[in-house]
Amino acid sequence: MSVKRKGPRATAVRVATYALLITVAIIVLFPFVVAVSTSLKRNTDIFTYPPSLVPRTVTTVTDPDLGLENATVYELPGSDGQFALVESDVPVAEFRRIDDPEVIIALPPDQGVETDRTTVVDGDEETIYLVEVDGSEVEVFRARLTVGGLFQPLDGEGDSESVVELVNLATPERVFGPRFENFSQVVTEKNLGRSLTNTVLVTIAVVVGQIVTSVLGGYAFARIDFRGRDRLFLLYLGSVMIPFVVLIIPLFQLMLQLGWTDNLVALIIPFVFTAYGTFLMRQFFLGIPKEIEEAALIDGASRATTLWKVMVPLARPAIATLATFGFLYAWNSFFWPLVIINSGNPDNGLLTLTLATLGGRSSTDTNLVFAGAVLAMTPPILVFLFAQRYFVENSASSGLK
Amino acid sequence: MSAVSFSGVSKRYKDGPKAVDALDLDIADGEFMVFVGPSGCGKSTALRMLAGLEEITDGELRIGGRVVNDLPPGDRDIAMVFQNYALYPHMTVRENIGFALEVAKVDKKEAKQKIEDAAELLGLTEYLDRLPKALSGGQRQRVAMGRAIVRSPQVFLMDEPLSNLDAKLRVQMRSDIIQLQARLGTTMVYVTHDQVEAMTMGHRVAVLRSGILQQVAPPQQLYLEPANLFVASFIGSPSMNLITSEVSVDGDVVTLSFDDHRVRLASGAVERYPGLLDRHGSEIIFGMRPEHFALAGDIDVLDEQIIDVDVELAEAMGAEVHVHSTLDVPPVSIDGEMLDPDDDSLADGTRIIARIDGIHVVAMGERIRLALKTHLAHFFDPADGRPLR
Repeated sequence: MSVKRKGPRATAVRVATYALLITVAIIVLFPFVVAVSTSLKRNTDIFTYPPSLVPRTVTTVTDPDLGLENATVYELPGSDGQFALVESDVPVAEFRRIDDPEVIIALPPDQGVETDRTTVVDGDEETIYLVEVDGSEVEVFRARLTVGGLFQPLDGEGDSESVVELVNLATPERVFGPRFENFSQVVTEKNLGRSLTNTVLVTIAVVVGQIVTSVLGGYAFARIDFRGRDRLFLLYLGSVMIPFVVLIIPLFQLMLQLGWTDNLVALIIPFVFTAYGTFLMRQFFLGIPKEIEEAALIDGASRATTLWKVMVPLARPAIATLATFGFLYAWNSFFWPLVIINSGNPDNGLLTLTLATLGGRSSTDTNLVFAGAVLAMTPPILVFLFAQRYFVENSASSGLK
Repeated sequence: MSAVSFSGVSKRYKDGPKAVDALDLDIADGEFMVFVGPSGCGKSTALRMLAGLEEITDGELRIGGRVVNDLPPGDRDIAMVFQNYALYPHMTVRENIGFALEVAKVDKKEAKQKIEDAAELLGLTEYLDRLPKALSGGQRQRVAMGRAIVRSPQVFLMDEPLSNLDAKLRVQMRSDIIQLQARLGTTMVYVTHDQVEAMTMGHRVAVLRSGILQQVAPPQQLYLEPANLFVASFIGSPSMNLITSEVSVDGDVVTLSFDDHRVRLASGAVERYPGLLDRHGSEIIFGMRPEHFALAGDIDVLDEQIIDVDVELAEAMGAEVHVHSTLDVPPVSIDGEMLDPDDDSLADGTRIIARIDGIHVVAMGERIRLALKTHLAHFFDPADGRPLR
């Protein structure tokens, strides 16, 4: 532990540092927050203006006295209090004041008294109507005839008069209301469940396979003396330099000959052998003092026992790192599955593939797309949170010296 | 029957010289044998061959009468303590000590008892459930010992087990190991580069140099009757002063000349080293241990056994004073190697160290008269390093 600097200058530096870090954290986290919030929204709630990060739902009211059942609650422009939408397609006339055409007065068409006078608005001749607003008559013209909603006041007495208003001018009362059904819906209706199972299966197989081959290979390259070992290792390591795109066609042909196309095996076997993992494990094993192994040898342990009981437990941080990388790779892999899995076969789909189709084909269900995305990104985030200390703490040498 | 027997055992690494060259050595049952020598002398290699951690290139190695050349370490009935202890970091002390028993599938109850006995013996009982990283150096060292003891092997092997400890703890552990070995009566092969450890611990000490065994003897004999120049210079601290001198023999009187000094040898020296009488006119190496000097007034000697030297450095140790000075004679080398390659000052003279009584106050730059107890001195042939007995 170092001694902390004190004094106002140091405090200012610390405050600035934290402010900067918090800003960056907010910027980085924002897309995640949006994704999570969208995944919990109703589809109609996604494109509202102003946008909201909080998933909301409209409030409804059920009141037998007023003859209301699950009626949506609205606020109306120019009126206080709340109104329930009773009927949504009543005829409405949209009147506009002659002296101020911006003011819209929505009324049942029969409440405007037609006169024989006309006026010219934007070059069109319009008939003048008389309507009653707040007890006085106003001259208006009829902009259009349309359908609107019949709203019943909720806070007035039972005999309060219903109001006709254009629905798009009414603001529904919204409250916090996440829609968790998005998840079950995307899993069942959009076939994400099957893809999730497949992805979990493939990921586990790849991670376990990678650990087994890398531990065995890494140990052999680190500790077993055989002819040409170091050259073979260089060759093996060199394969890391080959970009995957170069391998796609030969690999595809190989899969074709093995009859593994459109098969999950094709997503597992080629990725179980990893030069990177072997390299990682070799380096780690090289760092373990030879004497520990020799001590085990003298204690009578066979190579297999030594590997299993001494080396592997010591290599836990390296194995965890390898498992984390393997997990992220397998979980997120998209291009190879896209190539090898028949897109017409939903039974062999992976999460990444299904999400891609979901985003393309049913992009109207934005909330479901986001629910799927959240489902897909939660496991990697959790794995990273739990395994991050293995990225930081990469030495097991404590207690050796 | 000897517990361990090396016959003609050699080790040659790929395109290297022999690390161990035709080692012949019998270690008795219950003996505490120390291998000592400078670094690279082959002592650790010899031990590792015994442990089964190094292949034997040539020769035959027996443990308890059985040839073990091709036996894996686990089947040799040995236990080893490593310099860095090589504890299993992920196991508790209990698991560390019990690992060999677990591998050997010893009954759980019996194993528990053995582990606890070993822990008790080493004072580790309260640490049994700790991890090695929570222990001090000395405790880890004891755990390593416990791991060896618990198997009750035929032979204990120790590879510089004390060199990672601080000086005080080292002395403490040294005596602990001696007592432990005496108590268990198990044969022990102990490797060290520290000649003080070798002298204090071993029943017998094997001195190695460049893969070749120089001398095997009990510590005192090693000190008093070194088999060659190397052993003479390696054993003892400060080490023996080796002075190239010319011999002149007149009847039974032998006189050595070096620098400007002429020293008449006591008759006792000639009796012990009769070979001196044949060396008239030739050069020999005159070996004087630091305690073979005294201030002229302290002992009765002939005038011809006193030399005048300039004090270059005086180290007061309390009971004694180490007086350093230089003689103008070419320094001694063994097979072309300087005895002390770090010391540049030897380039054109021979540094000598005399150990005189601590009651004297000696100042730097002072000229003092040193008396030589020549009857205790050693004499070697400069060509082959053999003593002139």
